[in-house]
Amino acid sequence: MSNEQQFSDEYLNSFVDNELTIEEKSRVYITINQDETLNRRVCELRKMHDVVQLAYKNLPQPPGRPLPKKSSRLRHGAAAGLVFALGVLFSWLQLSDSTSTLHRDFGRTANSLVKRGIAMVSPSTLAPTTPDNPSSHVLADADPQVMKVLFHLSSGKPEHIKEVLDDAESLLQLYEKQKQPARVEIITNGQGLNLLLADRSPFPERVRQMQMRYSNLKFAACQNTMDKYSDLGIETRLLPDIMVIDSGVAQIIRLQQQGWVYIQV
Amino acid sequence: MTKTITALMATALLVLSAGFAHAAGDAKSGSSYPKQKVVYHINTNDEKVLKAALGNIQNHINAVGKDNIDLKVVMHGDGVDLLKMANTNPDMQSKILNLKSQKVEFEVCNNTLVGRKINYKNDLFDVSQKDIVPSGVAELAKLQQEGYVYIKP
Repeated sequence: MSNEQQFSDEYLNSFVDNELTIEEKSRVYITINQDETLNRRVCELRKMHDVVQLAYKNLPQPPGRPLPKKSSRLRHGAAAGLVFALGVLFSWLQLSDSTSTLHRDFGRTANSLVKRGIAMVSPSTLAPTTPDNPSSHVLADADPQVMKVLFHLSSGKPEHIKEVLDDAESLLQLYEKQKQPARVEIITNGQGLNLLLADRSPFPERVRQMQMRYSNLKFAACQNTMDKYSDLGIETRLLPDIMVIDSGVAQIIRLQQQGWVYIQV
Repeated sequence: MTKTITALMATALLVLSAGFAHAAGDAKSGSSYPKQKVVYHINTNDEKVLKAALGNIQNHINAVGKDNIDLKVVMHGDGVDLLKMANTNPDMQSKILNLKSQKVEFEVCNNTLVGRKINYKNDLFDVSQKDIVPSGVAELAKLQQEGYVYIKP
């Protein structure tokens, strides 16, 4: 009996909807790995599933509920993350077949979601879950020669904001002088987000200059804080080229687990 | 009945006090913690925070045992004011000397000294050349890479 008949559409739908038991799921996974046609069928179902989900999420809100942005963005992030993770899982299982259509399609779906700004999670945040992710972020992380320093800014006081910029800049200059490869990330949450808000930053020009001067410097804004600001009716338009992370605290933990050192301002 | 209750309470008290005694003994000998490497980061001149920090550090040493901990304090920016204040504050002086006698090292950022034109011999309390590090922030990064745990009071 071919696998095509082995799994009914209904059964595969349950698979896509994550309604099967672990044993059932692993049976499907194993079969998918050996059967290109089944691969494609599951992929189509998965895509349809995501499109339907997104369509639901994008329904116009009934009047009186002006908050479509917040939670849906997070949920999209989670959905994209799930798709991404599944893609990775498949590629892992697909050891012998590197040209797996399924993986490519899943990857593409996840990437397009990210590109369309639906998932406001940076690729670097997704990176830790992808052992075979070839992005430079992961490669650099694996290199012990690279000094990785994260500055945490949670205060909105201009003197603290100035201090984090001064500290980061003098550190970057020092490493440059010492020819010490380094990466620096300034993570803002709470009131610290002010540094990166177009309408509130006390030093927008300095941020831009530092971004241009140091390619190894990144500024990150916490999505949770932005959502909170939005709820309060505060404009959360960011300065250009700011990385948005799902949660500042989570990012701080993730980076430290990857060997970054932590400095609080 | 009353007797039973009294006996029970006495037993509970005994067990509790034994537990406390045990914990205290552990803290004294430092045997309850594996060896620690810690760096305290100070970049504020808020007197309340600074005093609390000195207290935190002493408590930390008491808990772990002075032979069981390698503790450094890195000061930069406003944090250097800790040693400025100590210059005129005998209470702070004795706390700092006391910590130093327990092998705590106080490191001062040279960038700050230069930037603020501070003469460490005159303006700061008990600082010598070996206490100066080129950059406080870089020192914090280096120490963490060497396995020091970062604490910001």
